[in-house]
Amino acid sequence: MASQDKLTPPLTRIVTAPRRAGPLLRVEDLSVSYGPQEVVTGVGFELGRGESLALIGESGSGKSTIARSVLRLLPGNARATGRITFDGQEILALPERRFRPLRGRGIGFVPQDPGNALNPVRTIGAQAQEAAALLDEPDKAIRKELILETFAQVGLDNPGRAYESYPHQLSGGMLQRVLIGLAVLPRPALLVADEPTSALDVTIQKRILELLSRLQQDLDISLLLITHDLAVAAERTDALVVLKGGSVQEAGSTAAVFSAPSSAYARKLRADVPALNPDRYAALRDPGFARLADGKAKIAVSGVTKTFSVDGKVLKAVDDVSFAVPAGTTHALVGESGSGKTTTIRLLLGLDQPDHGDITVAGTPLAGRSQQALHAVWRHLQLVYQNPFTSLDPTWKVEHLVREPLDRFRIGTPKERGEQVREALASVGLGEQFLSRRPTALSGGQRQRVAIARALVLKPDVIVLDEPTSALDVSVQADIVEVLLSLQAKLGLTYVFVSHDLALVRQIAHTVSVMHRGRIVEHGTVGEIFDNPRQPYTRSLLKSIPSGIEGGTHRNPHAFPLKEQIA
Amino acid sequence: MRNAYLVYAAKRIVQAVVVILLTYVFTFIVVSILPGDPVTNVLRNPQNGFSEEEIQAIIAAQGLDRPIPVQLWDALSGFVTGDLGLSMRSGRPVATMIAEVLPSTLILASMTLAFSLIIAGLIGYGSQALPRKYGQGIVRGIPSLFLSVPNFVIGLLLIHIFGFQFGLFRVIDPNSFWATFFASVTLATPISAQIAEVLVANLDNESRQEYAAVARARGLRQVRLFFLHLLKPSSLPVVTVIALMVGEVLGNALITETVFGRTGIGSLVQRSVSTQDLPVLQAIVSLAAVVFVVVNLIADLVYPLLDPRVKLVGAVRRPTTADEGSANIPSRVVTE
Amino acid sequence: MTFSLNPLAARIRTARWSETFPPAVLLSFLIVALVLAWAVAPGLFTSHNPASGVPADKLLGPSAAHWFGTDHLGRDLYARVVYGTASSVTSAFIAVVIGLVVGGLMGLLAGFLGGWVDVVLARLVDVLLAIPNFLLAVIVVTALGFNTTNAAIATGVSAVAVFARVMRSEVIKTRQAAFVEASFLLGGSRWHILLRHVLPNASRSVLPLAVLRFGLSILVIASLAFLGYGDPPPASDWGLLISIGKDYLKWPWLVYAPAFVTIATVLSVNRISRWLRKTN
Repeated sequence: MASQDKLTPPLTRIVTAPRRAGPLLRVEDLSVSYGPQEVVTGVGFELGRGESLALIGESGSGKSTIARSVLRLLPGNARATGRITFDGQEILALPERRFRPLRGRGIGFVPQDPGNALNPVRTIGAQAQEAAALLDEPDKAIRKELILETFAQVGLDNPGRAYESYPHQLSGGMLQRVLIGLAVLPRPALLVADEPTSALDVTIQKRILELLSRLQQDLDISLLLITHDLAVAAERTDALVVLKGGSVQEAGSTAAVFSAPSSAYARKLRADVPALNPDRYAALRDPGFARLADGKAKIAVSGVTKTFSVDGKVLKAVDDVSFAVPAGTTHALVGESGSGKTTTIRLLLGLDQPDHGDITVAGTPLAGRSQQALHAVWRHLQLVYQNPFTSLDPTWKVEHLVREPLDRFRIGTPKERGEQVREALASVGLGEQFLSRRPTALSGGQRQRVAIARALVLKPDVIVLDEPTSALDVSVQADIVEVLLSLQAKLGLTYVFVSHDLALVRQIAHTVSVMHRGRIVEHGTVGEIFDNPRQPYTRSLLKSIPSGIEGGTHRNPHAFPLKEQIA
Repeated sequence: MRNAYLVYAAKRIVQAVVVILLTYVFTFIVVSILPGDPVTNVLRNPQNGFSEEEIQAIIAAQGLDRPIPVQLWDALSGFVTGDLGLSMRSGRPVATMIAEVLPSTLILASMTLAFSLIIAGLIGYGSQALPRKYGQGIVRGIPSLFLSVPNFVIGLLLIHIFGFQFGLFRVIDPNSFWATFFASVTLATPISAQIAEVLVANLDNESRQEYAAVARARGLRQVRLFFLHLLKPSSLPVVTVIALMVGEVLGNALITETVFGRTGIGSLVQRSVSTQDLPVLQAIVSLAAVVFVVVNLIADLVYPLLDPRVKLVGAVRRPTTADEGSANIPSRVVTE
Repeated sequence: MTFSLNPLAARIRTARWSETFPPAVLLSFLIVALVLAWAVAPGLFTSHNPASGVPADKLLGPSAAHWFGTDHLGRDLYARVVYGTASSVTSAFIAVVIGLVVGGLMGLLAGFLGGWVDVVLARLVDVLLAIPNFLLAVIVVTALGFNTTNAAIATGVSAVAVFARVMRSEVIKTRQAAFVEASFLLGGSRWHILLRHVLPNASRSVLPLAVLRFGLSILVIASLAFLGYGDPPPASDWGLLISIGKDYLKWPWLVYAPAFVTIATVLSVNRISRWLRKTN
């Protein structure tokens, strides 16, 4: 093929212009406001050529806004002031006509949610051609060859198939590989990655981050990584900028900021990341291990199977699952999306009926129970949902929300109910001023506290927690976990804790079941699972926990398998 | 996939037939039964001035002396076989009367649809491409304004300006080119506004999607972004809206044809209402429903073929395997 | 994934008053208030008699004495518009109430009960939708007899299907919400959930629709009046006034003055509806 000689350039960086001196990207005194409201205030940092920098912060910290200012993708009602210098050129003041040549060629973009980052009604190939158009290659066939080659480089199994596909026909991990490929295809000097893995499963997160690190090194690209995860940032980048409420709290080399944070906020952030502090709640949790031996099983699940039929195909969502939870302990169900953990708890709550197997709660079997009988069970078995933004009726006030179960189960006199509502709210750290608020006037953390108070107010023995903190910021998560564990210590509650976050499970669980494709692949105490995993799947999950700088991997990026395994 | 589509198509077709038959029965109830016995209400109404012989003749011709269920059954089976009955007034076949006026309304309707699409398309483009501050605001206000003006006022305004002031057409010659042109414009204003509202909302929604930002970051200019990326996903749902608008055109033709003095289906309805010619009314309403149902059936059958996202599967939660990742991929699921 | 809206939302709530009430919305409320006042107490706004005129003053242009001019019988057009408001507004209101109550109930039952109730109601809604909206209103008003109240009922009937559709889809959406399942787990019965959770939440998006339909009903009723299916003169419904005015196009204010009032009212109502949908 005539294009053979053209196929080599992609991996070796094409140096088109002579390098100018100074950092590649310099942000000075950047402020961004939406109407009267300033979301970024006086932010500044520098990113050198071939280096990497992470902007870290929780929601509302302005990290994404800064990224979009650099990309000049702010919505029309936003106003940015200050200076952003890219490769010696001041880009904030540049007219769009003069900035456009830099898009893609100078600055590449890897977005947060790969599922929404490609046009759903056009093929991936058609959209890849747009990126390839920046290559100054007139021949469409050669451009296609270059695209396919890049797809292979980013670890897509079958580049030809990906090229022909519509976005919805590929998985999230594969789409993110496509997007990374399209971003690096025109050989930009800077890659801006905005939470590139937060919409993906943990094991895939790891692989995508490794891919980014490898490309950054191989192609000598500068990387601006936006993330909420301090451990990920520390593992992957040379420098950190910690943001809160739109301004810089602390900045410096990763080694300095990560190992010896000087600002109070960075210290708290570091202390709140579960992966970095496995023993944070040991004092609250460890007494529970004693109950593992002598405690009677509060919940017993044995041989439970549940199948769904989709498109005429039968899918085993839960396959012969058994576990038991002693009273007063926390059992964690761990797995990635589609592992069957959500179906398992729906069966446990009696919301779905198993095809086979028995479930016993506090000695009472659930099977074949009528609605009435299930009501009696729910009195002692409550659920806290994953997303506090959808689990509370937005039209109700907090007092009413928390009192609803008391009213429904007709517990006590109206006056006593009022008292119990106040008690329950107090036990999760919410004062009386919250009684008359509606959920829309509460933050995510406050909402989840209300949800927990509502589960508590019935004084149940068992609370099922379905990823109760996955929709929340890490510092809020730490507060909620603290509340849950002190309630367990005080009231002797039994928890079934569903999560994909192994680091968090390690902090709070007593026993763990690892689920994969509907089955429990490994089961044991938290110590057994984390210190001595026997199954390869468990080991791969454990490896995906970002470990911060000590276990950093970006120094030897070639040591990892590249291809995504497609089952 | 192929099978799923055939099952879906078969279901939709059966459903459409059922709806058409039910609509006929419903119309029969509203037109012929609800007002009471047509013999006393219409024929023996002194205002209408029928002689006793005429009354007897009409009763015999229409079969009004039979029990109502029998009348309904005969009318329905006639309708299914294409026999629309006889006019109560002139005694002529209703089918012939409709056929006489149909071409005029078809011309009006097709010009209306063409204008509507052009106007809606221009508004859609303007809403994205014009300068945000002034141009966009004005263009975006147009649909709301169009929907707030009574249709007959638009007609009168156009007649006043272009008929009287500029003398482009004369009211006594309603079938001239310019009269037809402005009648279509009149009819097109609310239709185009409704299409434009959906189109603009979809365009806004699509341009807020992450993929639009990613495409811009790839260096695409606004015009290419609009035509390559935003237009297709935004206008696909518009197919459904256009189908819905067919009913709107048929309904509003009644007013427009009256204002412009055109002969057409609308003015035939108007005449049948004032002379209480029930068989004609029944036939026109039922035929309008057939047109509406068939057009919407076609739109529903074509849509899944146009939009690659549509998956014709039941709404069952589909557990993904671990390797698939958990990115939230939008899928439009058509269910019954 | 984290939700980034919280601090933002908190700050938006304390945003300036003029941002929650844009000037256009404020103006819309003023116009609607004025129209409602015309409907309730027309005598406060004009001293002219809407039914009898001075023949010598016929077909006068707008002036300080006659804001909208006078008609072919020398009656003050402004007075006729003001006195016609009550009928136009009330009938639009009746239409919306019929559509909202009947359609809302149908949608609520279909969406919540599902099964054969849903199938039966869905087919009925399909039938109502299959007949072009305005044609449906025309045959219903023909069946009931020509007057303004019947025109209002007919307009209401033609709106039933839309309300039923929206209500049904809102109910189904709400029924699948996590908080409904949560209430079920907390011991809530079916009816408790229907009345206390599903209905209030589903109604939130039906309210803007009702307001929007109010504006549309004014137009449909005006159209029916224009075609002569409402009360005959000397009633002075807006649509009827325009219908009379069209025979006197040499004196265009006879059409444009009542038309302007209609347009301003409907435009304001639509703007309020859009604002409600946004702030909900």
